[in-house]
Amino acid sequence: MSDASLPSTEVETSGRRRFFRAWPPAVLLALAWIAFIALVSIFADWLKPYDFMALDLRDRLAEPVFMDGTFRHLLGSDELGRDVLSRLIESVRMSLVIAFLSTLIAAGIGVSLGFLAAHFRGWVEQIILGAIDFMAAIPFLIIALAVLAFFGNTLTLFILLMGMHGWERIARITRGLAIAAKEQGYAAAASEIGASPFRVYGAHILPNIASTLIVAMTLNIPEVILLESGLSFLGLGVQPPLTSLGNMVGYGREYIQTAPWILLSPAVVIILTTLAVSVVGDWLRDRLDPTLR
Amino acid sequence: MLGYIASRAFRALVTILLVLTFAFFILNATGDPAILILSADAPPEAIEAFREEWGLNAPLWKQYLGYLWNLAHGELGRSMRDGRDAWAVVSERIPVTLAITIPALIIKLVIGISAGIVAALWRDTWVDRLVMAFSVTGYTVPSFVLGLALMLVFAVQLGWLPAAGADSWRHAILPIITLGVAGAAVLARFTRSAMLEVLGQPFIRTGLAKGLVWRAVVIGHAFPNAAIPTLTIAGFMIGSLVAGAVVVESVFAWPGVGRLLVSAVGNRDLMVVQAILLLVTVTMVSANLIVDIVYGFVDPRLRTARGGPARGGT
Amino acid sequence: MSALLEVEGLVKHYHVRGGGGLFGAPVVLKAVDGVSFAIPAGRTLGLVGESGCGKSTTARLVLGTLARDDGQVMFDGEPVGSVRDARWRSQRRAMQMVYQDPLSALDRRLTVGKQVMEPALVHGLGAAAERHEKALSIMDAVGLSSRFFDRYPHELSGGQRQRVVLARALILSPKLLVCDEPISALDVSIQAQVINLLVDLQEKFSLTYLFISHDLKVVRQVAHEVAVMYLGRVVERGDPEALFHAPAHPYTQALVGAIPTPRTRGRARAALQGDPPSPINTPPGCSFHPRCPRAEARCRSEAPLLRPLDDGRFAACHFPVLSTPAREAA
Ligand SMILES: Nc1ncnc2c1ncn2[C@@H]1O[C@H](COP(=O)(O)OP(=O)(O)O)[C@@H](O)[C@H]1O
Ligand code: SF4
Ligand SMILES: [Mg+2]
Repeated sequence: MSDASLPSTEVETSGRRRFFRAWPPAVLLALAWIAFIALVSIFADWLKPYDFMALDLRDRLAEPVFMDGTFRHLLGSDELGRDVLSRLIESVRMSLVIAFLSTLIAAGIGVSLGFLAAHFRGWVEQIILGAIDFMAAIPFLIIALAVLAFFGNTLTLFILLMGMHGWERIARITRGLAIAAKEQGYAAAASEIGASPFRVYGAHILPNIASTLIVAMTLNIPEVILLESGLSFLGLGVQPPLTSLGNMVGYGREYIQTAPWILLSPAVVIILTTLAVSVVGDWLRDRLDPTLR
Repeated sequence: MLGYIASRAFRALVTILLVLTFAFFILNATGDPAILILSADAPPEAIEAFREEWGLNAPLWKQYLGYLWNLAHGELGRSMRDGRDAWAVVSERIPVTLAITIPALIIKLVIGISAGIVAALWRDTWVDRLVMAFSVTGYTVPSFVLGLALMLVFAVQLGWLPAAGADSWRHAILPIITLGVAGAAVLARFTRSAMLEVLGQPFIRTGLAKGLVWRAVVIGHAFPNAAIPTLTIAGFMIGSLVAGAVVVESVFAWPGVGRLLVSAVGNRDLMVVQAILLLVTVTMVSANLIVDIVYGFVDPRLRTARGGPARGGT
Repeated sequence: MSALLEVEGLVKHYHVRGGGGLFGAPVVLKAVDGVSFAIPAGRTLGLVGESGCGKSTTARLVLGTLARDDGQVMFDGEPVGSVRDARWRSQRRAMQMVYQDPLSALDRRLTVGKQVMEPALVHGLGAAAERHEKALSIMDAVGLSSRFFDRYPHELSGGQRQRVVLARALILSPKLLVCDEPISALDVSIQAQVINLLVDLQEKFSLTYLFISHDLKVVRQVAHEVAVMYLGRVVERGDPEALFHAPAHPYTQALVGAIPTPRTRGRARAALQGDPPSPINTPPGCSFHPRCPRAEARCRSEAPLLRPLDDGRFAACHFPVLSTPAREAA
């Protein structure tokens, strides 16, 4: 009886071990967290118990449930009586949307410039390489800060500006990969049948280098979240009445003595989110492209 | 070698000039400073007088050339807020910032490098895992969250240290720890991977095979080789001694250059913002230049390759 | 009789760095140095020579995918250039390439079907459904079952991949196919299949081939005429059987001698001797002279021109082998 059951347990454990080697628990947790906040952002309007701007003057600075508060405001309320949970949900959505769109912009710029450099070589390439070096040599946060303050901050401008972060890394990677791909037969073969450069780069080279680019983009996202929340914390990012995670922390700083819960939950969400995306990014890099860095 | 230094220096200069030009046009294109400062409903004569005083009626390119001209003569303009010399306004804050960033740099170097070395030498033990867990925080915990957390614990809950301000040396402790911890985490990760790379090299393994004592190999060969990439990162950290503290200074209300920048930006004080940008860019670019040159001495192959050493960090 | 493809005095020189790595002085590499030939419609010209003698470069110059330094290419009465203008694009439909390594010539991210249809898509031929039909019928013609349509290149065998490359080349119904070593990357067991397929396809679609190989034996099976290249030049040209049985140029003789056959067994093989050739600093005079058993003083100073021999062949040699044992025996 016990003899008969032994092999099957062995198979089971080795199967489980293989599963966890391919999908380490930390990665599974990180993916679960990302899926969770992604769902929260998508269904934010249904999940929010209150409007995130609604004032509840009778219940200002209410304590959260875990600090002996009531269930009226699960995560407490701020000094205007706005529900922290509702604001948190709205902020998660805002921060994720900004991080995602900005990374797409950075990828768009980086991939286009990388392809241009690889295609034309010569002085075009030299100029693009110069711009890449330039980006790496300037204090981006400081310049972003100045631009935001003087341009009169709108959400669109803010996202565009965040999209300037990290393009140089993607451009550098793209250029290297595209030059290597051009040497390979498939790109030359496509070009020799008369395909336009747009087709060669867009339909052939891009899909072939996509996995590496996705890794680079994933690793860019936590950086943008940190940058966005930092600027918002300083009051130069997302502007009220809109809210983001960094915004909530910056606002909560004033109440750190009396109502620390205002900044507690957004701070935790920032940390968990950047951590989760970094873990997934590192894991993707190891799986898809160990040559990257 | 001289040619290499010259080309690097030339590029550094171009970078600085580009940042200044960019900043000048962006900042001046974003609205009328007269209205921004005096508010839109100020009397028209006042606005006109303000423009006259600051030379805002000239075309932008003339203002730009004038700006460069003054810059070449060491004049950075005057603060539009109180009319003081912009450089004086900025420079009096530099020591205040350095008072927290230099101790923080020392913490970064000491803790970061030793933690990285220890983690590499005891790879895959609990020490390594502890260091790596610590270093992850450097990438995922924003400095303002770390600062506020420290403030919450040591100032609000325990009451050991003041929460904000700059009245005594005790006020500096939390900002220094905040800056130091985050940087140390980044440096630990770099040092660890640099050490691991060196430890895996054939010459280390031959050294061990030849019967050399392990410690002698590590100290004699591994350290010097791992030092190069590590010092690069340290060089960039030195480059951001002024700029790196913007957020932390704001958290702790520490009146350094960073806070000045945030308030000058809020006040639309063009000349002060430009002076700070100049200061920050010059320190960063010169630190990069020095790192490049040192690298060129250490590794002659880089002199011919373009781009110089790979940059890490942000 | 005017030929479908006429090539006159093709030249391609590369400027490369000489010895000493990055810092060597720039030197001229004569990849192709004055190549001429013509192929009548429906015929096959075999181009043979050792690796590095400039065969692939010639192929790309002929197709206009590489800019030539001198010479002329006439295809179907029109000049072929390397500028990607309207004529260049329309010429793509009439002249296609079959690559040596099918795996690298195919995009591993696209299905077989998409890649076979791609040339038609690029040239805007037919609606999507028509392209689909056409691709399936071409795949059938090259012996690929329709179940491969949605497969990826890495799921196929080497022979099947080369059939995909062929189908992709044929979907535009070209007149000329340039096959650059089409079988040398394949397993020996399937080389014959692909050769037979090429011969069948020539018949079926009345194709003209420029067939490139380093292997004279392979060329002999498919070519109606053979040109032998050495260091960027054609050194002998003529009927494959004549060339094989009675090589006139000492280099061809050495190539033939390198093939073990019952006929050559008894004879002393003229093995290639001396340094392997380099297209950099080619020797003065006849570039083959350092390795040539018949070389004399004249060969070291005067370059031989490609000139006709009595039997209609062409050879570039001052002292061609006019009567060979094979001929005497015949
Ligand atoms: N892009 C290039 N740059 C420099 N040299 C080249 C280039 N392409 C080919 N060559 C050189 O030209 C010569 C002929 O090459 P190739 O036509 O590929 O020969 P084959 O196909 O007969 O083997 C070789 O010596 C090769 O090294
Ligand atoms: S020309 Fe002279 S060297 Fe050249 S192949 Fe003929 S005999 Fe030999
Ligand atoms: Mg070849």
